[in-house]
Amino acid sequence: MPRYAMVIDTRKCTGCQSCTVACRVHNKLPVDMIYNPVTTHGPVGKFPHVRMTHIPSLCMHCDVSPCVDACPTGASQQREDGIVWVEAEKCVGCKACVMACPYGARVSNHEEGTVQKCNFCKDDRVDQGKLPWCVQTCHQKARVFGDIEDENSEVFKLVNGSKNVGRLLEELGTEPFVYYLY
Amino acid sequence: MSTKIDLEQEGVEVRKSVCYFCHQNCGCLVYVKDGKIIHFEGDLDYPTNSGGLCCRGNVNLIHLDHEARVNFPLKRKGERGAGEWERITWEQAIDEIGAKLEEIREKHGAEAVATAGGTSRTDDWARRRFMNLYGSPNGFHNSHLCWIPTFMIETAIYGWSPFEIDLGLSKCIVLWGQNPAISTLPEQAGISALKKNGLKVIVIDPRFTETAAKADLWIPVKPGTDLALALAWINTIIYEGLADYEFVYEHCVGFDELTEHIEQYTPEWAEPITGVSADLIREGARMYATSKPGNIQWGVAIDQIGKPAGAAMHARAILRAITGNLDCPGADLLTGPSQEFITDEEMELNDMLPEEQRKKQLGSDKYKLVTWPGYGRIAEITKKYWGKAPTAEWMCEAHPPSVYNAILTGDPYPVKALLVSATNPINSYGESKKVLAALEAVDFLVTCDYWLTPTAMLSDYVLPMAGSFERPTITSTYGCSDFLMCSQRAIQPMYERKTDFEFWRDLGIRLGQKEYWPWETLEDAYFDRIKDLGYGVENYDEFVEYFRFHFPEREYYKYKERGGFATPSGKVEIYSSVLEELGYPPLPSYIPPAENPIDHPELAKEYPLVLTTGAGIMPFHHSEHFNIKELRFLRHEPHMEINPETAEEYGIKDGDWVWIETKRGRIKQKAHVTEGIAPGVVFTERGWWYPERDLRAPELGGCLESNTNVLTSTADEHCDPISGTWANRGLLCKVYKADGSDGKEAN
Repeated sequence: MPRYAMVIDTRKCTGCQSCTVACRVHNKLPVDMIYNPVTTHGPVGKFPHVRMTHIPSLCMHCDVSPCVDACPTGASQQREDGIVWVEAEKCVGCKACVMACPYGARVSNHEEGTVQKCNFCKDDRVDQGKLPWCVQTCHQKARVFGDIEDENSEVFKLVNGSKNVGRLLEELGTEPFVYYLY
Repeated sequence: MSTKIDLEQEGVEVRKSVCYFCHQNCGCLVYVKDGKIIHFEGDLDYPTNSGGLCCRGNVNLIHLDHEARVNFPLKRKGERGAGEWERITWEQAIDEIGAKLEEIREKHGAEAVATAGGTSRTDDWARRRFMNLYGSPNGFHNSHLCWIPTFMIETAIYGWSPFEIDLGLSKCIVLWGQNPAISTLPEQAGISALKKNGLKVIVIDPRFTETAAKADLWIPVKPGTDLALALAWINTIIYEGLADYEFVYEHCVGFDELTEHIEQYTPEWAEPITGVSADLIREGARMYATSKPGNIQWGVAIDQIGKPAGAAMHARAILRAITGNLDCPGADLLTGPSQEFITDEEMELNDMLPEEQRKKQLGSDKYKLVTWPGYGRIAEITKKYWGKAPTAEWMCEAHPPSVYNAILTGDPYPVKALLVSATNPINSYGESKKVLAALEAVDFLVTCDYWLTPTAMLSDYVLPMAGSFERPTITSTYGCSDFLMCSQRAIQPMYERKTDFEFWRDLGIRLGQKEYWPWETLEDAYFDRIKDLGYGVENYDEFVEYFRFHFPEREYYKYKERGGFATPSGKVEIYSSVLEELGYPPLPSYIPPAENPIDHPELAKEYPLVLTTGAGIMPFHHSEHFNIKELRFLRHEPHMEINPETAEEYGIKDGDWVWIETKRGRIKQKAHVTEGIAPGVVFTERGWWYPERDLRAPELGGCLESNTNVLTSTADEHCDPISGTWANRGLLCKVYKADGSDGKEAN
């Protein structure tokens, strides 16, 4: 069984936000919903000694996922391959999971009355052997997706072969499966 | 929510198409069933984008059938700009437009008809063909602002323009006024991959761009002073002994004259002008000259600085020459035109335009490089050497501000009709208020577009155009590359849209040009161009299906085999005989920005800040895509950039609406207070209009309110005397907070 993960290389990301648009368009999200915003930090410093970084984000598909635990209806679930997803038919829109997620990765769909989130595009992409939209659309190849259990996968190599690798809010013990290279 | 589509179902055809929203033309696979597109994605096998698509690329299907698209030919019913239209047939439109053009030619001469174009997303060889046969020399684009003067100066100096860079073997790339991290994403991906191999990246830009953030060296030059920087680089390279003397003495003329001429332009001299320390100027020059082979990638910045532009292009070309970074592995390559397929120029029928009509080309008496005088001379030289000439559409055009002036004043002669194709001149050409007045004043205005732009709203006829996925595409760098990248249309145009090729062809046939338009379809015309390449295919679609590209084997040092360069002397002409012949300085001397505090102290008292405009911003392209909400959510409003120190001086806080004003007028944008720009420098975003507002006159979608071109200058004294390019950058402005009582419109 694979364990899906994403590695985001902030050294390559230019903050173009193509991933944000690709996600919105292909997942047909309402205009006020974003699964994967890109946040720009900077320029920090004082002209001309400045620097700037862009941090793309999305659901971290945590191993210890507080959103799944918080869900009272069983709508929030995790597959064996690690993908955390919401079964829309079971979701009552109570937002307990929104409160539980430390990454702000869950959003209410006001049109549907449910909570939605990134599911690594499992249905139309990953389960079809294709890359999630945010990964395929990235010209800079700043997002890498794959099975981290597979020692030959790029994600495995990047995570295990780099010193500059980290995870967000690691101290919370959520065991996120999105890694950042910096 | 699953959006799963069964792509394996019966009857699905996969078409090899491209995105058509900028001239990167990223490869796409488009899945079609029963003539309808059911799915598309970036083509993983396409060599430039490898499956990647930018923000814009992702909205292709939204763009394709957007509710605001123009789908049928429209004829104006009420007053100009009233927004009252009658739907007519193409036959009626072509017949009536044709009749009007016949009448104008009879009464005022063919030169009284001008055409305006946009960026390279049309088949403008067809437009040129039509205009040559019709007899008017007055076609133009915004080409002055985008590469064309660069191409022609470089061709004058070393026989072609090195837009093809051999980056894989390069050690250094200079991105001079270019921001590929936002504007040409595949290029940035290539640069970023090569950095691992030690490629050094120098970014020259007044702004700390997304590209600058990843560079080895950022040189924040003051807007409009690129020429001073280039001259100081030449000085450093020569006086520190970093030139490639073997190349210079064997293959160049004018190096000794240059050495003497450049002595005055030291880094210390350039420091106060450019705002860059002499040390940093030297560091950049040394990095470029010693990390060999190296490249200077073209960017639009120098094309847009107005008065000093031509000399700055010349100086930049000299940098390549004195470092020997020309046509050798890893450097900037001089491919020349294709020797194998039929080029755009060969499709244009330039010989059909009589000499007496060429002489009437507006602006060609003043600005000689990219009009018939300079183009004619350069084409003569390149034909002798390469057997072919640069594309005339782009490289040989009427001077746009001179055309708008002729419409407004009748001087030197009246221009009665303007046919607009794929552009919104009010937002894209310089000095918008003048352009708007000209569009209101011209007797007859026809627009071919996807949308009812402010320009279309003022038109007598609006024709619906086929866009992305609805047309085949040949990508060949404005018709000047030696390679071709070919793509299929995924579907026939929806509704009653047509390609621009069909528009010019239909109009040509209406005006008696039938024998010159043998191709029924664009694919037929394309096939004619490539059929002798020897791929053994029966038609264009088949070529795309099985081959798609034609990349000739890369040849280096062509000048060695061909006995020199395509110049009058056969050498790289640092001292340019072509420029001298046209009446311009043969070596570049310093020319200050169009407006600056030293030459214009009185002006600087009222307008103390330096302005730069015109840079590209994601997710928009020029004046496009403001009406697509799936993109607009990323940037609802226009933003100007200002340093915190300067902002504080003027009482401006981040997020305030501010007026930015030059001598030409004022516009409103929101302040983005940032350390990414020098104190005293202001940047404004380009293209902005508000499609969500009333499109009827006088509102016209708020087309002046935040439009940066209200600020730019096209005055003759601000234009580059060589090419006529006008001033988008290096202008003087002032900035002040907008209060609630300020009117919406620019004044």
